[in-house]
Amino acid sequence: MKKEKRSFLKILMGLMLLFFYLPIGFMIVFSFNSSKSLTHFTGFSMQWYTKMLSDASMMESLYITILVAVIATVISTVVGTISAIGLSKSKKVVHDLIMQINDFPLMNPEIVTAIGLMLFFITFNIEKGFTTLLLAHIAFCIPYVILSVMPKIRSLDPNLADAAMDLGCTPWMALIKVIVPQIMPGIVSGALIAFTMSFDDFIISYFVTGKGIKNLSIMVYTMSKRVNPSINAISTLIVIFITIVLILVNVVPVIREKRKVQTTELKEKNKAPRIIAGIVAACVCMGLVFVQKTTSSTKKYAGQTLHVYNAGEYTGENLLSNFEKQTGCKVVMDLFDSNEQMYIKVANGEAYDVLIPSDYMIERLKQEKLIQPLDQDKITCLEDINDSVKNLSYDPNNEYSVPYFWGSVGIVYDKTKVSEKDLKEQGFNIFLNQKYKGDIYLYDSERDSFMMALKALGYSMNTDNEKELAEAYNWLLECVNTMSPEIVTDEIIDNMAQARKALGLIYSGDATYVMSENENIGYYMPNKGTNIWCDAMVIPQSSKHVDLAHEFINYVSSYEAAYGNSSYVGYTSPNTEVMNDLAQNDFKGINAYNPIRTNKYDEVFNYNAETRKIMANYWAKVKIAASNAKSE
Amino acid sequence: MKKFSQLALPYIIWSIIILLLPVLLIAFYAVTDSGNTVVNFSFTLQNFAKFFTDHDFLLILWRSLSIAFKTTIICILLGYPIAYFISQCKDRTRNILVLLITLPMWINMLVRTYAWIGILSDGGILQSLLNLLGFKSTQLLYTEGAVLLGMVYNFIPFMILQINTSLSKMDKSLLEASSDLGANRYQTFWKVTFPLSIPGVISGIALVFLPAVSSFFIPKLLGGGQYFLIGNVIENQFITVGEWNFGSAISVIMAFVMMAIMYLVRYVEKRNSGNRKEKKA
Repeated sequence: MKKEKRSFLKILMGLMLLFFYLPIGFMIVFSFNSSKSLTHFTGFSMQWYTKMLSDASMMESLYITILVAVIATVISTVVGTISAIGLSKSKKVVHDLIMQINDFPLMNPEIVTAIGLMLFFITFNIEKGFTTLLLAHIAFCIPYVILSVMPKIRSLDPNLADAAMDLGCTPWMALIKVIVPQIMPGIVSGALIAFTMSFDDFIISYFVTGKGIKNLSIMVYTMSKRVNPSINAISTLIVIFITIVLILVNVVPVIREKRKVQTTELKEKNKAPRIIAGIVAACVCMGLVFVQKTTSSTKKYAGQTLHVYNAGEYTGENLLSNFEKQTGCKVVMDLFDSNEQMYIKVANGEAYDVLIPSDYMIERLKQEKLIQPLDQDKITCLEDINDSVKNLSYDPNNEYSVPYFWGSVGIVYDKTKVSEKDLKEQGFNIFLNQKYKGDIYLYDSERDSFMMALKALGYSMNTDNEKELAEAYNWLLECVNTMSPEIVTDEIIDNMAQARKALGLIYSGDATYVMSENENIGYYMPNKGTNIWCDAMVIPQSSKHVDLAHEFINYVSSYEAAYGNSSYVGYTSPNTEVMNDLAQNDFKGINAYNPIRTNKYDEVFNYNAETRKIMANYWAKVKIAASNAKSE
Repeated sequence: MKKFSQLALPYIIWSIIILLLPVLLIAFYAVTDSGNTVVNFSFTLQNFAKFFTDHDFLLILWRSLSIAFKTTIICILLGYPIAYFISQCKDRTRNILVLLITLPMWINMLVRTYAWIGILSDGGILQSLLNLLGFKSTQLLYTEGAVLLGMVYNFIPFMILQINTSLSKMDKSLLEASSDLGANRYQTFWKVTFPLSIPGVISGIALVFLPAVSSFFIPKLLGGGQYFLIGNVIENQFITVGEWNFGSAISVIMAFVMMAIMYLVRYVEKRNSGNRKEKKA
């Protein structure tokens, strides 16, 4: 009986370890995959490691993660220890009150702490960036240190310090020579917890960072929508690195208790400091190896940093590094999920030099005076730009903006599953056709979804008629309630390339990429009209390097840069020559690459604060309804 | 000696500014309608009314609580036997096992969750395996099951470590005493070992339940775009919709609900242990 039970537990233990290590093993294996696929291993290759090493933003995020963790650990350990000693000698009321406050980050859900800090920084006008990230990390690390040092101080003989001072020590010496050595195990475990909490943190960092400063977690979160095996490569390196550190220090078990650590005891007193020393030393080495400081050059813009804010997966491979080489400046690119997300950051005073929002958002930024007119003498690229994307309604004389990419919104479909007759007859109403139930993707954007619904109903997508908007809302509700669609963003690209569903709403540029990957996929623009859009480069009022920003805009629009950009991403270039060349070469036969057609129902989005608000609220509700419909 | 108390002064100021003030700010935003500034504002309970009068929001809160509850139960059911097994091992083995459980926690949570996407996705290894075993191909990724799996995966180590700590600290002579007094192994476990490990389970619950309710990246990565939990609603209000007052109100509601639940758990535990003591007396 006893034996049986043991072996049952042994099997369970084995399965649990398998469960723990399966994803890690999977990650390591697929970091060596020769293709992008996350499901099929096609052959051994080191390409993702090379890609990772040459990816400056990835290396920088690693560097920031380590730098923040090290600084936050050092500061919070010192401050936490000193404060814990001080608090233990303070009046009981003060002690209890501060310990209560100290518990906030531990007892509150992390997202609440994160929001609190974000509101704090914004309310007091502290510019979000590296400083706020570091402050936030110190803020949530100190409580862990205090909690693990406190019990050690309590178990200390209160007369110890007095005895030391009677024997001639100054209070400071008594502290350093007597008290600190006694509570060392608590300090060490506090430092370890602080380091791991900071190293791993996502939620708090995500809300308090700015200016393109990202740690590893934020980078993974913003990149995770599109398959990127470089993430696996960098993770594998971290796994190997951590394993080596742990083996180096003799496989010391460190019980890591996140949160509540009131009763932490460190068993291996002597070895623990070596772990920390090992980790810190290794981190510093790693930081030094990976971060090649740009040496000072004599070029005009040397030493300047250009902050660009662009949508995710929207830049060619070498665009930024080539620009850096040419000008000697450094480019930091921050990525957003949606125009709305970008707007919130910019409106709250985050400084950028170049933004790349969509048409209607440019109109809004212009109305709210958040962007500045371009210096037309410095803009030399306009003549290369296609007339169809010049002087559009959001910026009639291109006073403020230069197009970056443009295109349309349409239906991406699997030719083997969807009949063209259905598409022609039903247009966007095909998204209500029961034949395709459970086989469709919607795009997670209020604008595009409402465009689809309004066009399906035969209205203008720029309507401000509340009745029509309510009808569109009901159309979308019907869709999520009866069609069980999947609401996605960029995941649609890889999923449609593998024809996982029959059809979906997509941007023409993404369709171009999908069609170049899979020849059975088609792209259709409904006859009742669709959205013609343009994303363009603008310079916000907050720009600190206006000249460099103009330089960047000219560079991006040049033939060489635009060609690289467009062929890599698949979106249509506004540079006429590039567009014609690519339509003949890389994207031959792909109708999605050329969005030019004449249909009187096609429209460009206008900005209207009222309808935007209505749509945002409706869309949040549609998504919640979809979420509820799926789970019922 | 008294001088040492001055050492705490900087931290007292710091903690009031950077720990207390932000929480007060959330409460402030929750009861005002200032837009996103604090220059002009007026007090209102509109934000709370909006949440409580909307069936959909309540449903989401309910779903978040229920999935966190399921996660916690699974973590206890799986974690307890594992922790028990570890605590029964020899010191050396125990240390190695604890290390093996701790090691994955050093790797970024997002990265580990990201790895599950590949395993669970259509045509991935798990689905192929299920197909081989004769199961019809079902969707694994972007389901509630996937979210549950991700949560259990991320949070179960906390449960195991907490229970293991409380089991390992237990005075072994109690077990000997119990068997000397004629209890069999089964009785000893239920009458002695289990009750003494309850504090470990309780702190494990706190470490699993709280982050599970408010998690937003696990549902986003494994549940897909339309799997919303309360954490996603809050994130959405702050990052995309931009209605910070409403977002703050939801945060306040969530924090209160969770505090109430944890208080309840502790209360029940205290009463039970109180009863036991009375019986003994």
